[in-house]
Amino acid sequence: MRSFTHINARTLDEAIELLRKYRGRAVLNAGGTDLLSALKGEYLSRYPETVINLKSISGLDYVSEDGGLLRIGALAKLSDIVRSPLVSSGYRVLAEAARSVASPQIRNAATIGGNLCQDIRCWYYRYPRHIGGPVQCARKGSGPCLAVRGDNRYHAIMNSRKCFAVCPSDTAVALAVLDAQVHVSGPEGDRAIAVTDFFGPLANALRSNEIVRKIEVPKVSVSAVQTFLKFTVREPIDFAVVSVASVITREEGVCTDARIALGAVAPGPVRASKAEEMLKGERIDEEMAAQAAEQALAGARPLSKNAYKIEIAKTLVKRAILR
Amino acid sequence: MEKRKSVRPVAFLKKGEDTVVRTQKLTRKKARATERISLTVNGKIHEMEVGTASHQIDPAHTLAHTLRETLGLTGTKVSCDHGACGSCTVLMDGKAVLSCMTLTIECDGKRITTIEGLSDPETGELDPLQQAFVDHTAFQCGFCTPGMIMSAKALLGENPSPTEEEVKEGLSGNFCRCISNYHVVKAVLAASGKGR
Repeated sequence: MRSFTHINARTLDEAIELLRKYRGRAVLNAGGTDLLSALKGEYLSRYPETVINLKSISGLDYVSEDGGLLRIGALAKLSDIVRSPLVSSGYRVLAEAARSVASPQIRNAATIGGNLCQDIRCWYYRYPRHIGGPVQCARKGSGPCLAVRGDNRYHAIMNSRKCFAVCPSDTAVALAVLDAQVHVSGPEGDRAIAVTDFFGPLANALRSNEIVRKIEVPKVSVSAVQTFLKFTVREPIDFAVVSVASVITREEGVCTDARIALGAVAPGPVRASKAEEMLKGERIDEEMAAQAAEQALAGARPLSKNAYKIEIAKTLVKRAILR
Repeated sequence: MEKRKSVRPVAFLKKGEDTVVRTQKLTRKKARATERISLTVNGKIHEMEVGTASHQIDPAHTLAHTLRETLGLTGTKVSCDHGACGSCTVLMDGKAVLSCMTLTIECDGKRITTIEGLSDPETGELDPLQQAFVDHTAFQCGFCTPGMIMSAKALLGENPSPTEEEVKEGLSGNFCRCISNYHVVKAVLAASGKGR
């Protein structure tokens, strides 16, 4: 890796102040499992002058519950979330999503904040400098998205414009179905963003010098069935081709509440609101699930090589509903 | 591989102000160079200076680089160097982490165990887990083996008698191109219970 200077931030305010001082020439590091790849590949438009370590901030790695809310500090490791009895008992879909991320070693280092803020996996965007990159593209601010005319088998099938990469985060899909809020801090103070609004086609919703502080998840009804399904090419250490998270409550076979989120199909997790509405008040059977799956993917506009993702997504939605 | 910052020769500097600027820069560099980190590797404490000189820890050095190039512990292997193969797995405070995706400068005060730290330092006797790998011929070319053993060590530390499924899950981040995986699972199961 090319050299950089390194600063251990002691508080969140100090980290925000450092970001402000370096004016885009500094990057934040939490678990490092995504950032180090970016630094080694040197594909970003600008190689950072400074890396600001966030792990040196104490008290940001909690997983706690109070007042009907699960609170997760941005520095909580994915392995801590998987192991937390609190998460696996009441927020199973999040535990399952966190457990599906990469490998045990990566989950021991990667944080939930980093998992939400990780960069996209597009192979044009990430093309390394030492083998002929970096490639310019819409996301880097110049030229078109190369995936549109190129190999787009893992790219978006809905809600994209300019950049067609998908959100690679698994925990984002679970958090979207749980109606979670991302709390961020910045020079102008704190604000909360719904997980579904946190992601956009060209970048996430963080304004300059803002940092994710914590995630808040409202309590889920104990009778709800929570499911996370992830389709990958190989099982461990792989990103989702398509993933589906669902929280479905039934009373005597009749659906009283349904929440479904699709992952790796768009720039962010997508709630299938119409399919959710369709299921409420209905008796869930094979046919109903198939109709809801059809509805969930009704807005899909595939690129040249990724129409197969629609079929995978429909199957996963159906399986999740029938679980 | 590492690019060093080029130092502008003094002859290129103009007289007067610039020389002052240069001195200030040098002082600032010196002040930063006094930053030190301390790592405990296999029970031995290493105090290291942070800086860009060859004997120092560059902020851009990964833990894998420091272990292999600075401390000479070449048992830890680097294969993909992108967090996808598990060859560089070491234990940090008892947990398996990828040393290629960890910055050394961020390991201050941490306790690291590498493959070299498993055998008895006095007698040279192998760790029961290592012996199980030998007994079950759980390798072919052996390049992935240090990472496999360190992942298995972390697993057994947390769960001394894992099921076959748990062993597979615990080793899911380690790849072997010779398909030694089946023997590895047998070796780890054999070592469990025996290996602390």
